[in-house]
Amino acid sequence: MRNINSVKREFLKKWMWGIRKYSSQKKNMSLLERKKAIKLSADLAMASTRNKTTRWSKALIANASKDGNNKVHTEHVLGSSPPPRRVRKSSTNYSHGTRIRSCRNTWRRNRAVHRPKDRSVASFIAKKLVQKRTRRLKSLLPGGEFMDGVSLVEETLDYIQSLKAQVEVMRCLVTASELMILNPS
Amino acid sequence: MARTVRFRTRIINTIRGESGSIGTSTLRFVRSMDQAPVGLRGSVHDGATLESIQFNEEIQGIVASAPENASSFTALLELPPTQAVELLHSPDSDGARKQPNCHVSANHKPYLLHSFGGNLTFPSNAALIERAAKFSVFAGENSPSQGEARLLPAGSGSNLDRVKNEPQETDSNPCSTQGCVSDPAVENKNERTAKRKEREKKVKGSSKKSKSVADETSGDGEKLPYVHVRVRRGQATDSHSLAERARREKINARMKLLQELVPGCDKDVIILYFRVISGTAMVLDEIINHVQSLQRQVEILSMKLAAVNPRIDFSLDSLLATDGTSLMDSNIPSMVTPLMWPEIPVNANRQHYQQQWQFDAFHQPLWERDEVNHNFMTPENSLLSYDSSANSASLHSNQLKMEL
Repeated sequence: MRNINSVKREFLKKWMWGIRKYSSQKKNMSLLERKKAIKLSADLAMASTRNKTTRWSKALIANASKDGNNKVHTEHVLGSSPPPRRVRKSSTNYSHGTRIRSCRNTWRRNRAVHRPKDRSVASFIAKKLVQKRTRRLKSLLPGGEFMDGVSLVEETLDYIQSLKAQVEVMRCLVTASELMILNPS
Repeated sequence: MARTVRFRTRIINTIRGESGSIGTSTLRFVRSMDQAPVGLRGSVHDGATLESIQFNEEIQGIVASAPENASSFTALLELPPTQAVELLHSPDSDGARKQPNCHVSANHKPYLLHSFGGNLTFPSNAALIERAAKFSVFAGENSPSQGEARLLPAGSGSNLDRVKNEPQETDSNPCSTQGCVSDPAVENKNERTAKRKEREKKVKGSSKKSKSVADETSGDGEKLPYVHVRVRRGQATDSHSLAERARREKINARMKLLQELVPGCDKDVIILYFRVISGTAMVLDEIINHVQSLQRQVEILSMKLAAVNPRIDFSLDSLLATDGTSLMDSNIPSMVTPLMWPEIPVNANRQHYQQQWQFDAFHQPLWERDEVNHNFMTPENSLLSYDSSANSASLHSNQLKMEL
């Protein structure tokens, strides 16, 4: 797989860059604002490290762009001209897919399921268990609602790797900042 | 067979322990166990069927007393068989949920009556217990040994005759040394010893695999001297697979127990259920937990970073100057440990991490008071909102801000 350290370095670079962009816009943000900015920049940076090769990264960026608060910042971070096109394309893709799939999912879920007889009770239960968990995983993963089982697992794997790298870099940054506090030299 | 014997123990214990409504569930089990039609008794080529039939009888006898006095095993045995049969069918008609249940038990009826034969004088209490014990021991022996399974023939209706022939069969059965038992507890012990012995025999019988295979497929042969492990044709016979099979059978025993608990299902249902539980669902659970924990960590860390820096300008230069490449490649906590308590572990558990984060928040104000920070400020307003020292911290940070 990809070298974890190079991923981390890339992530850190993009993250810092994004944060600097953010701070250049607004001064004196509150704690929560700062936190949101940090998190957003981190997410975007993480997503961009994948360079849109994975669906979750695309979905992450798309969601960030859709949200009104983050939209401006997202466009700033990712570059002004491409984002509108990107946003539009991804938003249309996902909106179309969204509607159909969410409708189908809800319909499938709400349909009254008759309890089958003996032989398929176990398979019924088994299927229910797996379905429940898959649904939960899909809710966790950005853009996971629209993936089928196979791609879901792949995406999850990639997402977990990226999250791990993100967490490690952030942790290093936190400890470094605290070190700096202690040694202000 | 280990699973049946063990399972039987549990069944008996359950029946003894419960009252009333056990009848229906056990009956359902009976029905499910006895999927093989009665006509099979003529040509028993599968030990499972055979022992299920045996077990059926026993269980029906036990169940019969369930409505009245489930806790007393011996009381059950004192019932004359016709009454037992009637009792068997009355809860059945009441409690049977599905038609097939009644139907099947109706099929049972002639079988039972036939099996109990013309002279329905039940032997004495002790003899019956003996018989039950023998059955359990027998079944324990029989399943591994296909040959001995043939002993309970063809005319499995002559089970009662077998009761009369107890001594001979007991003798023929090398393991049933516990011939005279007068206690249900002893019967349990018998089953357990039977299990143990059967396991030994399994190990022994591994060397006689070919014979067992031949017997399995031939389907005839009366009394064979060896006890065979049930080996299907073409299965591997090395020790690994043996252990594997033993383990699998143990698991199957558990599944049988589950099957008993879950009403109205049959064998492969539970197998599927079990596989799912131990398979996909658990893996997915783990994945979900992991993803959630990572996301939570990201949240916490970003909050922490936001708290550390009042103006989110991480000066990369200064950061890199202090740490160099170690920022990326190594674990900072090793350097920070002497300075900061508590250390943030690399593989942070959710709970651990949150606890330590709170501790960390408590510790920050101490350092803050000691040193004045030039580059960064540590206001930590929200973090210390529940702390009495929050006011002092915020005042301090405000002063710093004004200075800068």
